[in-house]
Amino acid sequence: MKHLSDQELMRIVQAGDYSPASEIYDRYSGRIYNFAFRFLKNAEAAEDAAQEVFVKMLKYANQFHGDAKLSTWLFSITANWCRDYLRKSDNKAKEAEDVLVALPAPSEYSPDRTLEQRENEQLVRRALMGLTPEQREAILLSRYQGLSYAEIAQIAGCSEGAVKTRVFRAMETLKKTLAGHAGRGDRCLNAVQ
Amino acid sequence: MTERMPFLLTESLDAARREETHQHIETCTLCSEEWSAYQETWRVMDDLPVVEVPPALRERFLAAAGLEGGRPVRPENNVVPFHRRPAFKWVAQAAAVVVLAGSGYFFGRETAPTFRSEPVSVERAGLIKPLSIAETRVVDANAISPEIEGRPNITNVSFIDGDASDNQIRVAFDITSRWTVTGNPRDKSMVRLLSYMLESEAGIAPRSNALDVVRRTYSDPANADPEIAHALAKVLRNDEHEGVRIRAVETLTTLPANVALPTRDALIEALKNDPNPAVRLKAVQALANMAQSGATLDAEAVNTLRLKAAQDDENLYVRVKAAEALSKIKH
Repeated sequence: MKHLSDQELMRIVQAGDYSPASEIYDRYSGRIYNFAFRFLKNAEAAEDAAQEVFVKMLKYANQFHGDAKLSTWLFSITANWCRDYLRKSDNKAKEAEDVLVALPAPSEYSPDRTLEQRENEQLVRRALMGLTPEQREAILLSRYQGLSYAEIAQIAGCSEGAVKTRVFRAMETLKKTLAGHAGRGDRCLNAVQ
Repeated sequence: MTERMPFLLTESLDAARREETHQHIETCTLCSEEWSAYQETWRVMDDLPVVEVPPALRERFLAAAGLEGGRPVRPENNVVPFHRRPAFKWVAQAAAVVVLAGSGYFFGRETAPTFRSEPVSVERAGLIKPLSIAETRVVDANAISPEIEGRPNITNVSFIDGDASDNQIRVAFDITSRWTVTGNPRDKSMVRLLSYMLESEAGIAPRSNALDVVRRTYSDPANADPEIAHALAKVLRNDEHEGVRIRAVETLTTLPANVALPTRDALIEALKNDPNPAVRLKAVQALANMAQSGATLDAEAVNTLRLKAAQDDENLYVRVKAAEALSKIKH
């Protein structure tokens, strides 16, 4: 299975054979789980999200078109799940409680990580949760998943211009928190062409 | 120019604009400062580590997809072989609804004089509308039997925040239709329903939410209930998710000592056998709290703590906490 492309694996699934499921899971579970975890800041919900995404991938395999990237499709399902999760009132409260139940992954407690890195990690997590869900989604997909604005627009169901605005606003907010840079109030007037 | 900087970072400017922006930054003090701040932000964001996917998730997914141990299942006629519930399970669930309703006679009806079931719109109940459910049945916990039979498949669980001063718990869920049960924390039916949810096989998040509600409600000595403590001990013993087990111990720690004390065996078991050091750490802290509160720990608990404090291959934090717990035990 490992030598097959995503599209080839999905064609097998679409034909009713689920044998590529574990291979697809192995390829994408890390990215999906990390995206959901960073989006929701809740490891349990991220697990539920990841499971649901891969189950839906099989269930609705026929809705996947071979000309699209599988990663974009999977992130669409994940982002939808996360948005629904946050829409539920009790989960909003949970988000505000700064819940982080899951055990820190070994990489997080690795002795190689300096104190500064660990402090920064907490700072980044908090700063990300300070963004609107739309901004957080855009910056996570752009910064940590390397998706293009066009792909993010497809996932978020908005225009590319809207994604750019979200990324810009997210970066402005993050800059104030993470670099302690709110600007001096005066800005360069050299306008964007 | 500032507007272009994030796109410079994400390398999404075309070559001409990229060059133009860089040239401008080199000559403009304001933009140069701004650019440095953006770069610093970008760098700090790198410190968010990639977390590892819990290994059990793979198994969970394969099981949920009907691929036991990764063995492919070929569906007939290209039909996705998702868990179709066997008829007996539906019967069991229907039976559970009947039991929950307190009377099989009223099952399927919209109103029931003694059942006090009032169909209300989902919007009125303040819930997100489930896909296949048209209405929510609202019932008081004291109108339902505390005996939950047939292992009903309770899904889509949510706890509804109501009036904090009325000391009521409101829990909504799907069985064969949508239900909202409201009741006093001391009501046996509510205790049993929450205990059932703690042990349910539904997603992790519902179990975690149930733990939150239990912690908030049953830490109050006025609501203390040994069955809740017992249910938490079962979660600690049996739940496959370490995050849930950790939260179970944390919740146990918040319960009044007289209610939590009988669960010390579960804590000792966790300290001895739980594969996860964070769970063992929480268990040893809980035992230390019990000792500090004046509870008498039996010989087995003390021996386990001694063993852990001296065990070379035990996690350092667990050893330290075990030693601390021993120092708090009154001799």
